[in-house]
Amino acid sequence: MTPEEQKAFEDKLYAYVGVKVCSRKPAKDAVNETMIRHWTEVMGDNNPAYTDMEWAASSRRGRTIAPPAMMYVWNQEGYSVASSGRASDPQTDMVEFFNEHGFTGVLGTNVKQEYSREASPGDTVYVEMVIDSISERKATARGTGYFFETLATFSDQNNETLGTQRFRVLKFIPQEQPAAAADTNELQVPTRIPSPRGHDNGWWWNAVDEGKVLIQRCKSCQTLRHPPRPMCGECQSMEWDSIESTLDGEVMSYTSLRHPKIPGYPSDPICAVIKLAEGTNIVSNVVGCEFADVHIGMKLKGKVEQVDEKTMLPQFYPA
Amino acid sequence: MSDYKTLSVADVSVGDKLPELDIDITSGLIVGGALATRDFEPVHHDKSVAQAAGLPDIFMNILTSQGLMSRFVTDWSGPEAIVKSLDVKLGAPNLPGMVMTVAGEVTACDAEAGVVDIAVTGENNIWGMHMQGSVQIVLPVEG
Amino acid sequence: MVANIKDKAVIVGVHNTEFSKDSGVSELSLAAQAVKGAIDDAGLKPSDIDGFATFTMDSNDEIEVARAVGCGDMTFWGRSHYGGGAATGSLHQAVMAVATGMAECVAVYRALNGRSGHRFSDGVSGNIMTADAIHWGWYMPYGLLTPASWVAMFNQRWMHLTGVTKDAMFEVAHSTREYAVNNPNAFFYGRSFDRAEYDAARMIADPLQLFDCCQESDGASCVIVTTPERARDLKQPGVSVRGVAQAAAADQEQMTSFYREEFAAIPEMEIAAKNCYEMSGLSVDDIDAAIIYDAFSPIVLWQLEAWGFCGFGESGDFVLDGALRPGGRLPTNTHGGQLSEGYIHGVNGIVEATRLVRGQSLNQPDKEINHALVTSGVGIPTGGALLGKLD
Ligand SMILES: [Zn+2]
Repeated sequence: MTPEEQKAFEDKLYAYVGVKVCSRKPAKDAVNETMIRHWTEVMGDNNPAYTDMEWAASSRRGRTIAPPAMMYVWNQEGYSVASSGRASDPQTDMVEFFNEHGFTGVLGTNVKQEYSREASPGDTVYVEMVIDSISERKATARGTGYFFETLATFSDQNNETLGTQRFRVLKFIPQEQPAAAADTNELQVPTRIPSPRGHDNGWWWNAVDEGKVLIQRCKSCQTLRHPPRPMCGECQSMEWDSIESTLDGEVMSYTSLRHPKIPGYPSDPICAVIKLAEGTNIVSNVVGCEFADVHIGMKLKGKVEQVDEKTMLPQFYPA
Repeated sequence: MSDYKTLSVADVSVGDKLPELDIDITSGLIVGGALATRDFEPVHHDKSVAQAAGLPDIFMNILTSQGLMSRFVTDWSGPEAIVKSLDVKLGAPNLPGMVMTVAGEVTACDAEAGVVDIAVTGENNIWGMHMQGSVQIVLPVEG
Repeated sequence: MVANIKDKAVIVGVHNTEFSKDSGVSELSLAAQAVKGAIDDAGLKPSDIDGFATFTMDSNDEIEVARAVGCGDMTFWGRSHYGGGAATGSLHQAVMAVATGMAECVAVYRALNGRSGHRFSDGVSGNIMTADAIHWGWYMPYGLLTPASWVAMFNQRWMHLTGVTKDAMFEVAHSTREYAVNNPNAFFYGRSFDRAEYDAARMIADPLQLFDCCQESDGASCVIVTTPERARDLKQPGVSVRGVAQAAAADQEQMTSFYREEFAAIPEMEIAAKNCYEMSGLSVDDIDAAIIYDAFSPIVLWQLEAWGFCGFGESGDFVLDGALRPGGRLPTNTHGGQLSEGYIHGVNGIVEATRLVRGQSLNQPDKEINHALVTSGVGIPTGGALLGKLD
């Protein structure tokens, strides 16, 4: 961009400052208990102010409220964004204008919500939004670009303000990626550390990949052994086959690795030594219950599951 | 009502740490969060679109991060706390397989007005800081 | 039948480097400093050292240490395997070499940057196809991959079987910390703690919390072993090795012997104890103080039982009676242990056991210490030694 081109670009760009993205309009749905409950389920939010009518009735508020962080949710476009794309408005026009001039990168950097009043089921949330500011041209770590900020103001059916949201976005010219391959490792989502597969154990893990947990059995004296070894410790035979475990088991002991956090693992994985019905012990995870529910002697039922993109593992559930 | 205790401002001091919260980032949480916040941007539910955008998998939308931050604070404060603001600086995306550790510390406390500011960080174990910000709440002035 | 090497080798010099969280020097530098310090303590010259013993895990080659310190010709080197199981295992190597005349003065050393370098708490991960990596492969995919998690798995079951509670684990951690408070080289020098702080500490692997776990430290320790004849002419009172033993038991795994009929037990340590008692002619009643390997607080309890200070499941009551404290039945880990002094893989424990018998501990008990026990790490092939005054 020459200085002249930049000036022409910026003249048009800054004309967006102060432009309304949308005039005050109501949400399609009034604030309602159903959508609130769907939200609290996912967030794991047990706040009774949102969902416990009985508690709320005797609370200071006297009523349930919508989670303040849902303020922006009520006016969302909905499924049309996925099926037919976002409808055109001055903000999408501005974004398109950025894109046409090479500022194709987009990064939300800050979002600030301030709440002046709590909404309750039955209230209707109205929103109006304006492009509040556009920064001067800036060089950032991501590339050269402009920050723009939208200001959304929320009010209820009585035109009382509920709150505001300021959303700051960087539109930038993506920097040329040096050596495309360099970052691919960094972008890998980590998975569990796999067991190495050698001659004596590879067959066992290969069976797990096919959904089966096997137990090695001496062909000569029929003794079961786990983990697999090349020779029977009872009769020294090197001939063996295997049986498939029913994965009925019982907790012999258990713990949970709380610290450090290991990339690729769920937090606080519950690990247990499990006595299988066949008589051999195996170490695995206990899943499908809380740590506090696990106890020595607990009956488990296992199944082989895919636990991440690359890993099949036996996992045990309360029986 | 004793089941749900709410802190009084007298219980709180600058420097108090909130109990840490580890959140497993799963595809279920990301898609569930996007739907519960009615955010149908394909990068939050369609892996191929997320990959076209340069990320290895779908990633958490901002409204879910805001929701988790709000929940983190009110889990600690109790239900009578009134949330006044959520100010979030966004960092590295949250993707399936990561674990986000949310931590918080009281940075200001106005005993008369009951206004309490809490600095909150949500750091994932792979790419680092996902969200960083402050939450302002108002607590009952008397227990 | 135990080969009898009772009193055929004597510890004559000991030294610890400074222990820290970031030594700022190489592990070789730490090893050289520890060996030189022990030589000085004994009143020997570097050229007197003709043998070395250490851990397979130690990264410092014997010849590198010898060249650094300026030792001369060497006729013996030997290493002991299995992590902290090698603590008295390396002493065992040295004693065998001296007792058989393969060497005259053997330096036992262990040097590590255990905090600023490789940290054990980072856990294992297998890239190389060895039997060892395949072994860890039975645990890694599930997240059972740190020493704390392996010990926790034993301990959860042991507590379930015995009814011993965290009160006993706290007593181990607390009595040890109280010793460290007086030790300027201890990480927790001058820093006492109480039950509230213990209970509030972060969970590492249930039921182990932060203060149930040892320090990760940078540092080195060395002890020098020679013949009784030579020892009598040296600077320090000699500390004779009355008995020393290594043992692995049937169905032994490295930290994960989860496949025994009853796995909340350490039969390998019971074998080591039996052999040490037999070799030395001593009994449990003869032991006046102990350095018991304490990578984690509960493993001290299991070892008290294995060495016969009390019966199975009775170690909780034993320690809660104050046995480990300065005036107790068995003052234990008087340097502050690995929980509170530093984690030098148990060789700092051999240093302290020697000092106890010499009468030189910073926390020397009032009573006469004629015999001290020192042990290696457990959950692995392990061992122990009984030390006494040179006649
Ligand atoms: Zn057989």
